[in-house]
Amino acid sequence: MKRRDFLKTSSLATGAMMLPEFIRSTGLFDIWNDKVGKRLVVVQLSGGNDGLNTIVPFENDIYYNARPRLGIEKGKVIRLNDTLGFNPVLQPLESVFKEGEMTIINSVGYPNPDRSHFRSMDIWQTGSGSEEYWSTGWLGRFLDNECNGCPPYYALDVDDNLNLALKGKEKDGFATNNIGKLRKTSGNRFLKMVAEHHHDDHDHDNVAYLYKTMTDTQSSADYLFEKSKVHRSTVTYPQTTFGKDLKQISELMTAKANIRIYYASLGGFDTHAGQKGKQDRLLETYAEGMKAFIRDLKKNGLFDETLILTFSEFGRRVKQNAGNGTDHGTANNLFMMGGRLKKQGFFNAAPDLSDLDNGDLKYQIDFRQIYSEVINHWMDGDAEKVLGQRFSSLNMIG
Amino acid sequence: MESNGKINGMSDWEDIKHLYARAGFGLGFDESRKKENSSLRKALDNLFSGGRPGLFRLPSEYVSLQEKAMDLEGSMMKNFKAKNLEDKAKKFMPLVITNWYDSMADSRNPLLEKMTLFWHGHFACRSKLPHMAVRQVNTIRQHALGNFRDLVQAIAKDPSMILYLNNQQNNKEKPNENFARELMELFTIGIGNYSEKDVKEAGRAFTGWKADRIKAEYKFVARRHDFGKKTFMGQTGDFNGEDIINIILENKEVARFIARKIHAYFVNPKIDEKNVNEIADIFYNSDYDIKKTMHHIFSSDWFYASENIGVKIKSPIELYVGLKKILDIQLSNHKPLFFIGRGLGQKLFNPPNVAGWPGDKAWIDNATLMTRLNLPFYFIHANDVVIKGYSSGNSKPKKTIDLRPIFDFYKGKETESIVSDLIRYFIHPRLSADKKLLTAGLKRNTEKEIIISMVSRTLSLPEYQLC
Repeated sequence: MKRRDFLKTSSLATGAMMLPEFIRSTGLFDIWNDKVGKRLVVVQLSGGNDGLNTIVPFENDIYYNARPRLGIEKGKVIRLNDTLGFNPVLQPLESVFKEGEMTIINSVGYPNPDRSHFRSMDIWQTGSGSEEYWSTGWLGRFLDNECNGCPPYYALDVDDNLNLALKGKEKDGFATNNIGKLRKTSGNRFLKMVAEHHHDDHDHDNVAYLYKTMTDTQSSADYLFEKSKVHRSTVTYPQTTFGKDLKQISELMTAKANIRIYYASLGGFDTHAGQKGKQDRLLETYAEGMKAFIRDLKKNGLFDETLILTFSEFGRRVKQNAGNGTDHGTANNLFMMGGRLKKQGFFNAAPDLSDLDNGDLKYQIDFRQIYSEVINHWMDGDAEKVLGQRFSSLNMIG
Repeated sequence: MESNGKINGMSDWEDIKHLYARAGFGLGFDESRKKENSSLRKALDNLFSGGRPGLFRLPSEYVSLQEKAMDLEGSMMKNFKAKNLEDKAKKFMPLVITNWYDSMADSRNPLLEKMTLFWHGHFACRSKLPHMAVRQVNTIRQHALGNFRDLVQAIAKDPSMILYLNNQQNNKEKPNENFARELMELFTIGIGNYSEKDVKEAGRAFTGWKADRIKAEYKFVARRHDFGKKTFMGQTGDFNGEDIINIILENKEVARFIARKIHAYFVNPKIDEKNVNEIADIFYNSDYDIKKTMHHIFSSDWFYASENIGVKIKSPIELYVGLKKILDIQLSNHKPLFFIGRGLGQKLFNPPNVAGWPGDKAWIDNATLMTRLNLPFYFIHANDVVIKGYSSGNSKPKKTIDLRPIFDFYKGKETESIVSDLIRYFIHPRLSADKKLLTAGLKRNTEKEIIISMVSRTLSLPEYQLC
């Protein structure tokens, strides 16, 4: 027998088990799925996006003095109001802004900012203070608190492993950046057979936990695979990984997959040297991807049901460095996009470049205020439970 | 001394297996066969007679890079050269990591290897450069089974740690209390046992404790050190960092804090307060003798109690090193290790933050679990794997495994007895794996193919994820 044939062990294939997830995956009960309701899409820009060259304060001399080589010429900036405008590569998002489908929140950060990527990303993903170490994420705790009976894929991380934001104490989000590949690994015949023959072992906590995660993954892989085939997007997305990820999200959304939270990321923003070209390319990838995504959502009547939150773990220093780049900074701007924003355009004033903390922007809005707003007013959850403290409402969505 | 039923002859293979799973990285196939009829006393004696810790060395090519950078000490070029060294250094990091994996799978001193990994997670620290990383892991190895006080003192002067927790920026003019805070919160006594004032005062005591980036050595910069009086945990004096550590360690809370961590890691993630107190007593009364404390744990009846067996989810490194021992996995490049680190969520020298890896259930999500469960398939059935004793591949295979000892031993034996053996060796019986699953659908294959399948299936059982 050939080795390949022997590895196939085809005699192990069995019929679908009548597990609830399998019933769901048949699509017979899609009526449940119409209750998905408002969806949240989080977009993480990893590496620390330079906010000052994203939303440019084109009337500010301090900005141009601090960045003799890196400052974006006033004439090139896409003006959004009297003092602030887009980096020209964000042109694809100009209409989104002008049609009131975008809120830009300036100077978002937290007290005692940490300038390490890893640490600051931890803080953003967990929603902790800068002197606390939490091992669960803000969206994971949302699942813990609000998600009785949700399917395992209710919060989907479009990545090859699950980021901390989506890890809860009891419940986790679901990670995959390639549904076909996931279906292959979880389609391992031996493992399917093992799952089918397993009897609950209630007195052994971790065995039960491993089996549950395994069977959940197997059924979720089937469900997502089915859902991913329902709808093929007709919008042209840019040929980037980020574009592909967004397309995947929109196809699942259009197929009414029972997923409320999507998480995508775009990395490489750590521009210590030669920033101009690098950041422009990344922002272009971002803007073109988002433009196609929004067009797609609108086409399918989903934009009003969607809130897109874009953040980065920190901004960069006001002054450029000797390598025509910028070093790790603190507060940054954050974007929200969607069809139901209460406060459109700029939420607050431009950062004050004459009042810096050791060369860095001072934060005006704690990022957890924004999380709180999203949880309470978009996700219909209880932010105080999720974040461990109360934050005042910003009254920006709902 | 312990008066212990288990140790005095009432032991069996399951206890030996449990001991090696926790105090080491499990046993390979031949080791299992040899030890299954041995005594627990002998196993314990073996574990505790590992000898002096072997230390890691840097590749010679790297050392010469480092020496070149050192030649410029004091010159204007120094900073430039340090940066230059750092740029070139990164590519050597995978080699350092591979060496460490090899060392963990080497069966000569499993307890030392396990303790080193434990302390690496406890004194969580990110090291990007080989000379820093090697220096730190060697420091840990030297003290891993020694005295905890010496270990803490050495870590406080460890260059990687000084850089990681910003003690490099801790000067009397502008103290940085990051290290001082984590020293208490995460490394020794735990939150709630010190005040903010204590953090500030300890921060002052560690001013001027710096790292030489090129030599990877500790240096004391007197002009940056605050020699003034400090009041710390109720005592007043012109304390330096060493004094601070000694004062912290006077407090028995330290022994309890570490005992809890040891319990969660070596005994059971579900804490048994009685056992923790017992561990803490031994630890404190022996003035923080790690070896003595670990010996006490591994000779205690409660360590072998059924509620502590098979309840721990293996860390990714425990999982991989265990497989490496059984299958004798040899890799010609570092890529699979990179893939394991990233795919399973545990990279050496790169914990998620200073709190270390949270462990147990936190290892598992849908993606990591599927990668874990497919890992034996990946090392046994992937196209580029050469199985010694079965397949002859090209002369320079990327991955090899060696199943010859397993083939030889099972030649001519019944599949049922082979399956029973494999489960007895590698899965805990309390976890009740279904033996029929391991042989289903294999009848038409050759003997070796059946053995390969049974090995791969045994190691793919979700139960194998536990130890």
